[in-house]
Amino acid sequence: MSAAKSHDEVYIVGGGMTAFGRFDGEDQALAEEAMRGALADAGLSWNDVDIAVGGTNGETKPDNMVGRMGLSGIPFTTVKNGCATGGVALMTARNGLIAEQSDIACVVGYDNHSRGAFAASPSRYGIGEWYGATGMMVTTSYFALKIRRYLHEHGIDERTLGYASQKAFDYGSSHPLAWRRKPVSVDEALESDMINDPLTRFMFCSPDAGAVSLILARGPRAFDLCENPVRLAAAVLRGRRPGSFEVFSPWLSPGERTGPSIDAAKAAFAIAGIAAADVDVAQLQDTDSGAEIIHLGETGLCVDGEQGAGYVNGDYVIDGRLPVNTDGGCLANGEPVGASGLRQVHEVMRQLQGRAQGQQVPNNPRIGFTHVYGAPGISACTVLVKEGKGA
Amino acid sequence: MALVDASLFASTDPVALQGSSCSACGTQVFPAQGSCPTCTSVSVSPVALPTEGTVWSWTTQHFAPKAPFRTDGFVPFSIGYVDLGPVIVEGWLLNKTDWHIGERVRLELAKAWTEDDGTVVHTYGFAATS
Repeated sequence: MSAAKSHDEVYIVGGGMTAFGRFDGEDQALAEEAMRGALADAGLSWNDVDIAVGGTNGETKPDNMVGRMGLSGIPFTTVKNGCATGGVALMTARNGLIAEQSDIACVVGYDNHSRGAFAASPSRYGIGEWYGATGMMVTTSYFALKIRRYLHEHGIDERTLGYASQKAFDYGSSHPLAWRRKPVSVDEALESDMINDPLTRFMFCSPDAGAVSLILARGPRAFDLCENPVRLAAAVLRGRRPGSFEVFSPWLSPGERTGPSIDAAKAAFAIAGIAAADVDVAQLQDTDSGAEIIHLGETGLCVDGEQGAGYVNGDYVIDGRLPVNTDGGCLANGEPVGASGLRQVHEVMRQLQGRAQGQQVPNNPRIGFTHVYGAPGISACTVLVKEGKGA
Repeated sequence: MALVDASLFASTDPVALQGSSCSACGTQVFPAQGSCPTCTSVSVSPVALPTEGTVWSWTTQHFAPKAPFRTDGFVPFSIGYVDLGPVIVEGWLLNKTDWHIGERVRLELAKAWTEDDGTVVHTYGFAATS
């Protein structure tokens, strides 16, 4: 048996995803559709599942999904970690399979948000009511403040924001499950309504609805189920340290900047024994155009400041040096918070297996990377490696 | 004077913000809290923060935030981080909506909203010094 088939390795062997966008029904109907899709993709039934993990930012209880799927008595863990929920759910399932020496895990993430920017409560974040009352408890202003500083520090032109939007809507327009399917030019993105300088309407994602489910298998079982299982070579969660610049921060410490995305990516690459330069396809949290630009640098996928030329030169498009957010990312898919991180993994899994639903990365990509970032300053990263036939 | 939160202020005349300073590692934070997030010490004491600094980053809020935001009537306003030296503080940037990083600013009191009984509630903000 090869090392890659060891009992301590966990693989993704199937996935299911609903269309993303507006949805009138119950959020758990979306979750059920995704879970049944994932089970079918893996050739399994709910009775084959040993453990389950579910995440949502809404009010329904993910572990209540057993009422729809079947009362099989399995342990079903619920996680809730803001925009990083999907990444945390995946990591929890992986750890659960190894800790319990189980074979099959089902992971699900879903949400059905109402229109408009999220309204966040200061008290939930340990901040006084004054912060919300004075209009500072606003995620979009945080994104603007962060990218303004980043562009300044690394000498990147503001037009780069327009390139990031143009790329996202280009890939969204050719993905059958994406929400925003209309291409937007660089100039249209730059000239659309200003939301929070320097970020315009076409540079933000919106909360919407959707669900994604993945089936994980441990050790050799994965190769029985799937011709090209995708090995979860690392799944790492990190929090903030002094010097990070996070959402809902009335103060920052001066001096060297740190960040949970920097730490999580570095640890994920180290655990996987893979260099950032070896990544063939990546998904980065792009809650706004600026976030994709920042996260390219923070995850080590490029050198800070290189993004200006990188977007203009086409480095991050489907046949570029490092294709990023090949399904249009959060910008084109919106962000159902619980599902979003799993959408990233689902897209990379399909890219690595050569069965992308939108545009396919050419030349047999083998190594993938995903990154989510959420309040109050956490990041989850995965390194994904295609195994099996042809890998 | 009515304030959005009196604990934010060391004094209002002259106006100064109240942070806390860690006696173990010197980290200053705003608003004041009972522990140091940098070194984990609980040996902290209140400190009046510097009142002048430079714009570290900024944006203008072009849409009215959802509740719990309060206003007498929304008009776009600027928010920024101001580098005060020992700490970088987030707050309103007053009187204009176009800024640049490095611009010198000074702390001021600013009208936040009016209560039903006519009481004017104030918060803090930073205005350009020249």
